[in-house]
Amino acid sequence: MIEMKREELIKKWLDNELSTQEFEAFKSLEDYEELVKVSDSIQQLELPDYAITDEFLKLKQTMNLQSEKATTPWVKYVIQIAAVLVIGLGVYHFTFNSDDQFSTLIAEKTTLELPDASEVVLNAKSTLSYNKRNWDSDREISLNGEAYFKVSKGKKFTVITPSGSVTVLGTQFNVKQRDNLFEVICYEGSVMVEYDTKTEVLKPGDNFLIIDGNYIAKEKETASNPSWINNESYFSSMPFEFVINEFERQYNLSIELQDIDLEQRFTGSFVHNDKTLALKSITLPLNLTYSLKDHSTIVLSRE
Amino acid sequence: MQKDIRDNICDENLFSTLFQKHAKNLHDFLYYKFGQQFNAKDKVQDSFIKLWENCGKIAPSKAKSFLFTVANNLMLNEAAHQKVVLKFRQHKPKMHTNESPEFVMREKEYQLKLEKAIANLTEAQRTAFLLNRIEGKKHKEIAELLNISTKAVEKRIYGALKKLKEEIKEL
Repeated sequence: MIEMKREELIKKWLDNELSTQEFEAFKSLEDYEELVKVSDSIQQLELPDYAITDEFLKLKQTMNLQSEKATTPWVKYVIQIAAVLVIGLGVYHFTFNSDDQFSTLIAEKTTLELPDASEVVLNAKSTLSYNKRNWDSDREISLNGEAYFKVSKGKKFTVITPSGSVTVLGTQFNVKQRDNLFEVICYEGSVMVEYDTKTEVLKPGDNFLIIDGNYIAKEKETASNPSWINNESYFSSMPFEFVINEFERQYNLSIELQDIDLEQRFTGSFVHNDKTLALKSITLPLNLTYSLKDHSTIVLSRE
Repeated sequence: MQKDIRDNICDENLFSTLFQKHAKNLHDFLYYKFGQQFNAKDKVQDSFIKLWENCGKIAPSKAKSFLFTVANNLMLNEAAHQKVVLKFRQHKPKMHTNESPEFVMREKEYQLKLEKAIANLTEAQRTAFLLNRIEGKKHKEIAELLNISTKAVEKRIYGALKKLKEEIKEL
């Protein structure tokens, strides 16, 4: 456990990013109670309410906008949002246009695929628009009517309607599908996994792992996001073959194995930005050595 | 049916959507930055009116920075040289108090010290700190809102917390 400096601990606490162990360290700080007291007391500040709808009506009156026709009241829009896992790559459409707009007529429904493979089903007499070009950094949809959303992995996903907006807050989950391995880990929110005939809902920390068609039980995940996001691949009791495969993907190298059992379990990690260190990380624990065959191939063998 | 449309803020639906999206954030931001004696609600209204008046000239993607800049300037004109005050909620009298009078008084004293200390923070520190502690916004979100780096946000919030803690001890 790396010792976190006091300042880093506090900063993580402020951002609500402390792991359980880090929180224990935070609690044992000398001025822990003072810090918490300041934070809690802040909650007592008087924050004036802001009633968006009322304020908007006031604004409209001030601006003397044309009033809505009497026959079209604000209708309550029902939006269902589900986060469903999506395997595979989406096709990215790049254009230089501004918003794309889609509308349905009475008794018409349509299904749309968003640039990140999120899916939307639009109900009758509805209009939806979003900015295709910004989609990677800003997943925002303007909706007038009814739609059903399947949100694929990415940044915050927001739906804005004239009456209010809805955000899928950090539904964060990792999907790994490589050859004969399939794994889903939920970090935030909840995710439903469907594999073959199995269906499971994951809460933060839960994981779902299938190797060679077999369900593998694992301990709860304690990190707040997968390690590979921080440029380090971490494995816990995984067959060595998966470690090798991932290594090849991260370093664009080919690995040849001499007389090595691919099934043996490996627990450990390797970094993505230091080839030599990474090689040591995956060989030493298993008493293996490596040698460079040519500039793109590495040979691993037993010591 | 798919149509490509040119965005225009002069479109009522889009304008309404922009209000839904930004009005509350703008209001709270002004409140944290300038305190309670200046009417944040009015400034929000004024900014949106200005946005509407210039709707043909502003791209929707620029609307947010326009609103925040205009509101900030309107406030600065009024708030120049005046001290910032953010007050605590009035302490509601409890039905069955099992707190001693001394405890209640000490709590009140603490709150007053905290009020003073908050007013003494720099605008930058106070805004970032309150957005984080009261609204629970993540460092990254605040960075996007204020158009600064995440590191800068961390620095401001940490600095604010440190200052508050020290000032309360001294007062």
